[in-house]
Amino acid sequence: MKNKNSNSLSKKIVISIGIVSLLITLVIFSVSEKITKEAFYNVELEKADLIARTIEPLIALNIYLDMPDNIAQLSLQLMENPYILSVKVLDSQNKIISDIKSKEYQKGIEEFFVVEKTINQPNSTKKIGTLALVYSNKGYQELVDKYTNLTLLLLVALVVLFILFGLYVKKLLSPLVKIAASLKYYSPDKKMDIPFLSQNNEIGLISNALNGMQQKISEYSKKQKNINNYLEEKVNEKTLELREQLYIDTLTGLPNRFSMFNDIIETRDGALLIINIDDFKEINDFFGHIAGDNILKKFANRLKNMFKENEYIKLKRLSGDEFALLFVEKPPLEDFIKTAEKLIKDVEKMIFLYKKNEIGIRVTVGGVYQIEKALEKADIALKSAKKQRKSFLLYDEKLNIEEHYKDNMEWVKKLKKAIEQDMIVPYFQPVFDNNSDKIASYECLIRLIESNGNVVSPYLFLTIAKKSRLYSELTKIMIEKSCKHFENIDYDFSVNLSVEDILNNDMVSYIKQKIKTHNVANKIIFEILESEGIENYEEVSLFISEMKEFGCRIAIDDFGSGYSNFEHLLKLNIDYIKIDGTLVKNLDKDVNAQVVVETIVNFAQRLNILTVAEFVHNEAVFMKVKELNINRSQGFFLGMPKEGTDNKFIV
Amino acid sequence: MRKVILLFFIFVNLAYGYSYDDLLLKAQASIFPKIMLLDKKIENKLIEGRIIYTIVYEKNDYNTALEITKFIDENYNGHFNGYAYKINLVEFSDLSSMTQASAIYILNSDKDIKKVADIAKKKGIIAFSYDVKNLKAGLLFSLMLEKSTVLYMNKENLYIQKIDFVDSLLRMVKFIDKENS
Repeated sequence: MKNKNSNSLSKKIVISIGIVSLLITLVIFSVSEKITKEAFYNVELEKADLIARTIEPLIALNIYLDMPDNIAQLSLQLMENPYILSVKVLDSQNKIISDIKSKEYQKGIEEFFVVEKTINQPNSTKKIGTLALVYSNKGYQELVDKYTNLTLLLLVALVVLFILFGLYVKKLLSPLVKIAASLKYYSPDKKMDIPFLSQNNEIGLISNALNGMQQKISEYSKKQKNINNYLEEKVNEKTLELREQLYIDTLTGLPNRFSMFNDIIETRDGALLIINIDDFKEINDFFGHIAGDNILKKFANRLKNMFKENEYIKLKRLSGDEFALLFVEKPPLEDFIKTAEKLIKDVEKMIFLYKKNEIGIRVTVGGVYQIEKALEKADIALKSAKKQRKSFLLYDEKLNIEEHYKDNMEWVKKLKKAIEQDMIVPYFQPVFDNNSDKIASYECLIRLIESNGNVVSPYLFLTIAKKSRLYSELTKIMIEKSCKHFENIDYDFSVNLSVEDILNNDMVSYIKQKIKTHNVANKIIFEILESEGIENYEEVSLFISEMKEFGCRIAIDDFGSGYSNFEHLLKLNIDYIKIDGTLVKNLDKDVNAQVVVETIVNFAQRLNILTVAEFVHNEAVFMKVKELNINRSQGFFLGMPKEGTDNKFIV
Repeated sequence: MRKVILLFFIFVNLAYGYSYDDLLLKAQASIFPKIMLLDKKIENKLIEGRIIYTIVYEKNDYNTALEITKFIDENYNGHFNGYAYKINLVEFSDLSSMTQASAIYILNSDKDIKKVADIAKKKGIIAFSYDVKNLKAGLLFSLMLEKSTVLYMNKENLYIQKIDFVDSLLRMVKFIDKENS
């Protein structure tokens, strides 16, 4: 209530007027006080000056006539004026002729005016002396005091006037307060009596306007109420509809993924099977989406029929070709597995007819025998089943599938970060010529540098890179950085390429462009894995031909690890064979390995192909490599992979 | 003995005429020329560019007139505030309207005061009197040494058209008329 009083309009008006008036009054008073005081001062000064001017001729005459007694007498007469504190008359040489002071002045009064007047000889302008009059400002002070008192009185009168004015304004506006009070409990449902309707002034106008408004609001309110009721009904209907849509799959009419989330939350101990139709995309592609949808509907119906009698199994459609069976009560494990296996078999027997076509489907099922994180775990089981080409797999904590997934995801993150921050770099390992013992070339090996400076070997991330489609990015980085590095270095260098790279047209164009840009066609050697090369012979052969035209050379990597087809190799027109490390590693001791290597070397020599021994890790192996006439050697014994190519090691 | 002394004074008095107050004479000799200069129309009264200060005396007072002349010369040294002056000694019997005078100073006399006053009025010049009583006979100015020096002026002769004193002088003089002595 207090707050409301302080916001009162009447008070605001009065206070505003009061403040404005007070400011104006203060300004006027300040200005007028200054002017008045100055005027008072001037009046007093004028008085003193007038006295001096009046008496000056007489004093002048007396000085002129050399009558000092008369001067003293005149001075005494002047001193009768209570405002004159001192009269001093000096001659033209400033010698005192007369000097009279009042007692008050002698006591040391502080405030006074001093009027000095030059005394001229009568009937001449010749200076014959000076009159100094000390005039009290008592009169001035009295005037100022009177003025101040009058001002204060006026201010008090103004304040009283404003208070009365305030009260009057408050009284004038009080009907508004009453009207506001009556409006406070206004409700469109109840007719209210608005006061002051009969008054013939602005208040009366407001009251009448409010009364009219009241009637209109009442009518409008009634209409609005009817509309609201109607809308409320409609909203409820639509809400129900939307709720159904939210939890029901529109194609099959089955409860959807959201419905399953809710059911999982409400289930204390249950199990879950996720059913995925194998290669459903092919059905869509081959027969069309309408056929696909048709099959999905029929499949959903058949599943519904299969489990309609079991109230503890809830059928859901998760996504396109994925369904789920949620066990809201956990069955015995044996029954659970049997249900899954029976389901798979039953589905295999199902035939769907579409436009005279008989379409059969197969499903893969992932299961989890617990309700905690059931959907995620069943999904992992389903993916594992697909990967292992099994029709059913039950999620098992011991498989540590979840951890493996997490680890993979971490590596993907690391790889992306390393690519962004330019932390994928080539390391260079020297390849020595066994005749000259000098470096013949370098192999460029990929490394990932972690933020703490750790150098990560490709065995930890290459497989993940291939899965996450980052592999081609890594190859491009290696191609660019290696070509750039050897642009101005007089050494051959080799880069590893996967068949994935070779099959990628965009990558092949990139390689060509980089070779041209850095002018390294005569230095670069592409290393291709033997096993991969055989699987995609045609494509690899085409790539090799193209690169050969540029002047590039080709090496077959890990030769001897797979089932080498010498005939194919012959046609590929390769330059180097890199003998697989597993053969070289124990070459000094393993007689079988020696025989295989000898055969490879003989074969290569006949085709003018140079041989390279990898994994040369000690002197004994190195000596055996030389003994078997292998042309080049590479391995930790001879030189570790390093950041730069300053390795001038000579065996 | 007392009789002898009394007779001596009577004799001296008869032999040498009127007895003057020396101090009053000096005061008048000192102040009257200055008062003469307080006339705003003094320029009109110059004769051949000089002020002629005429002292009128009885035959017996010739020495007194000389003493006054000597005193004035000593004090003013030939100039009244820049104006050259000449002191003209004239016996009462020789005074006429033809006598040259810028102002007249009249020593004591019993008979011819009225005649002097008329001449001065006619000439429009100031007539100073040694004896204040003579103002009643028509002279303009006199001076007495009372508690202080007092200037007397004949009120009736104030409005002479040819004399125009500074206002302050009129404020400090004491006026005398026929009724008021």
